[in-house]
Amino acid sequence: MKKKKIAVLLSFILILALFATGCGNNQSAPEGDSGPGTPTDKKDVLIVGQGADAVSLDPHATNDQPSSRISKQIYETLVTQNEEMELQPALAESWEPIDDLTFEFKLKQGVKFHNGEPFTSKDVKFTLLRGLDSPHIGHIVGSIDPNSIEIIDDYTIRISTKDPFAPLLAHLAHTATAILNEKAVTEFGDDYGQHPVGTGPYKFDSWVNGDRVELVRFDDYHGKAPAIGKVIFRNIPENTNRTIELETGGIDIAYEIPPTDVSRVESNPDLVLQRNMNLSTTYLGFNCNKEHFKDVRVRQAINYAVNMEAIVKSVYKGVGAPSKGPLGPNVWASNQNLTPYEFNVEKAKKLMAEAGYADGFKTNIWTNDNQQRMDIAEIVQNQLKAINIDAEVKVVEWGAFLDGTTAGEHDIFILGWVTVTGDPDYGLYPLFHSSQHGAGGNRSFYVNEKVDALLDQGRTSVDPAVREKAYIEVQQIIKDEAPWVFTWSGEDLAGVRSNVKGFKQHPAGHHKVYTVYFE
Amino acid sequence: MHKYIFRRLLMLIPVIIGVTFIIFTMMYFTPGDPAKIMLGESAPHTEVAKLREELGLNDPFFVQFGRYVKNAVIHQDIGRSYATKRPVLEMIITRFPSTLKLAALGVLVAVLIGIPTGIISATKQYSLFDNIAMVIALLGVSMPNFWQGLMGILIFSVYLGWLPSSGFNTPAHWILPALTIGTSTAAIITRMTRSSMLEVIRQDYIRTARSKGQVESKVIIRHALKNALIPIITVVGLQFGYLLGGAVLTESIFAVPGVGRLMVDSIKARDFPVVQGGVLFIAITFSFVNLIVDILYAFVDPRIRSQYK
Repeated sequence: MKKKKIAVLLSFILILALFATGCGNNQSAPEGDSGPGTPTDKKDVLIVGQGADAVSLDPHATNDQPSSRISKQIYETLVTQNEEMELQPALAESWEPIDDLTFEFKLKQGVKFHNGEPFTSKDVKFTLLRGLDSPHIGHIVGSIDPNSIEIIDDYTIRISTKDPFAPLLAHLAHTATAILNEKAVTEFGDDYGQHPVGTGPYKFDSWVNGDRVELVRFDDYHGKAPAIGKVIFRNIPENTNRTIELETGGIDIAYEIPPTDVSRVESNPDLVLQRNMNLSTTYLGFNCNKEHFKDVRVRQAINYAVNMEAIVKSVYKGVGAPSKGPLGPNVWASNQNLTPYEFNVEKAKKLMAEAGYADGFKTNIWTNDNQQRMDIAEIVQNQLKAINIDAEVKVVEWGAFLDGTTAGEHDIFILGWVTVTGDPDYGLYPLFHSSQHGAGGNRSFYVNEKVDALLDQGRTSVDPAVREKAYIEVQQIIKDEAPWVFTWSGEDLAGVRSNVKGFKQHPAGHHKVYTVYFE
Repeated sequence: MHKYIFRRLLMLIPVIIGVTFIIFTMMYFTPGDPAKIMLGESAPHTEVAKLREELGLNDPFFVQFGRYVKNAVIHQDIGRSYATKRPVLEMIITRFPSTLKLAALGVLVAVLIGIPTGIISATKQYSLFDNIAMVIALLGVSMPNFWQGLMGILIFSVYLGWLPSSGFNTPAHWILPALTIGTSTAAIITRMTRSSMLEVIRQDYIRTARSKGQVESKVIIRHALKNALIPIITVVGLQFGYLLGGAVLTESIFAVPGVGRLMVDSIKARDFPVVQGGVLFIAITFSFVNLIVDILYAFVDPRIRSQYK
């Protein structure tokens, strides 16, 4: 009897374990994902590792990078930008401006959605109107006038903006404007984000929440069919582990290789490290509304007093590059010929004395809990002591950071920006136009009428030469007036197994994997 | 016994209400606006306002809490994630099997290592085996899980190439995470088994059993272990309960899509409905594990069983 009871106890534990191991998703490992060193005759599965799971595959429900990277394979936009950020036709075969406000697009015929529905101009109108309603992508489509989207016929559509808006095409190339199918969206309702339907080379297959998203080749794709039948996006949050998975063959491509693993990937003969400058920039901004920073000489003095090149090299460990201006090098019309402020403490002291602050002053540097930004803040705090500025570093929670800098509570702040469209309007207008103070993006509260006028000209002129001239001048003024200390231009690092060919990183971070093949 | 179980289940109701209210209040007053966090630094103010309205964040605390309770009670709906728009219950249920699997395997490893080691250590107190086992147990308790996990990956995945380093979809993937959790839990169980056994084997009835000429193995298993089991079951139950709440570090290191990581990600993103649902789920699971442990006491000890009647 007693033996029986102990047996019951032990059985209970075992049954519980067996039950646990038996339930859940019994998905077998896909080909090529059955552990390290597993030989496969013909590899037809590409496995990509990224640092987070997708949030939603509805392009209007989110704007995060992991989701966009997957959406890029499922959906297509009217126009697209290649890896050199040049505009190319996609679902629109051609386009022409009708007037200052309107573009007419001729759509590609014979295109099918993954649910078999034909692609027509009705889908474009539906998508744009739905996007305009979404709080997540308003900054991408917000310039479009919802009342002036005009269907000419099934394959011709006119899109107008509320005001002249030259960068419209660059905005329409963003993954957030991917064209959706009305029937699919209506059918799945709130659950559409887990049942995406696009016109792209891969269609959605399955999603193990928190673990992986699987896509399969869409056989009716209108363009060149991808060479690989199945793509799996795995969520591997630990940076080191992503690199190990790449080394051991568990994945074929690893995004976001951490700076500490660069030499490991570079020295491994089975791996290739791809390094490409992206569209992000990090900067140290001054609140120009604050007494001390109203004086341009103080802002310039800090630019001279901070050895930003050395700071960036030590903080980012050789990844990315010190910024040369407010725009990254991949952004069109980026002025990379600006003469940087040299590290010159004497000159800084002289400017401080001229401004009446020879004895310095007390200030604060706001940052969120991003490790690199906190490191930068501490080094800057230390270097500012040389010109008698006593800076307190305030590490503020992200939501509170955005609230505080919107309200102008900060003195100096560290923040980043990604010019996702690759157009200088997106990277300059919100950050420096006086109409954008606070929540609009101009947290420096910088005002310069000439800059406003040039940014307006760049936004409204359809002549690229006029735009380029305006933006080059804006960047020169910003450098001279120093509302920022230019800090860091970001770089994307991807590790790729050497048998993986045809992969190239996109500066916007939405890399195509449908061009990839195995050698 | 049935009455006892029923009473315990009834007690879940105030637990659920209390936990719901506390977690709702805590999340409400946590700094950080979910809308701002979701939309990021480049979102215009108008879009943040639009999203706040859409998520119902502009309503007063009691309106929001009332709506939550009403939907939960009447429609059995604990909301949708702010970020993914998925039903919270579905998100938790899809993640739970991985957590349950990890916890069960971890506890299984721990029990298989911990109880026999503890018994041998107690019966051969101060022997070489006992000393070595206790040093290893001390190391096991002291070693952080993430370090142990990373070392496991380094040895078995990188150098030996025997096991995959991350993921959780085949038995080969389960081994390293289960060992990581199991070995640290085993250390606790070993120490508890040893001390509990040491207490029991000095009792008079053990001496009586031996003096009757009972075989030593029977004395240990039938008389000593059985009486020492109550604190061991308590520790195993507690550990299992904790692990069901998600072994966040182990889940992160091995990319296991479990409840723990879901919770941490949701807290960071201020995804209130998922955090509320997750905490509620963990509280209920923990209560159930406690109930099972209490029932197990009755199986092991007739004195306790008689109290339940």
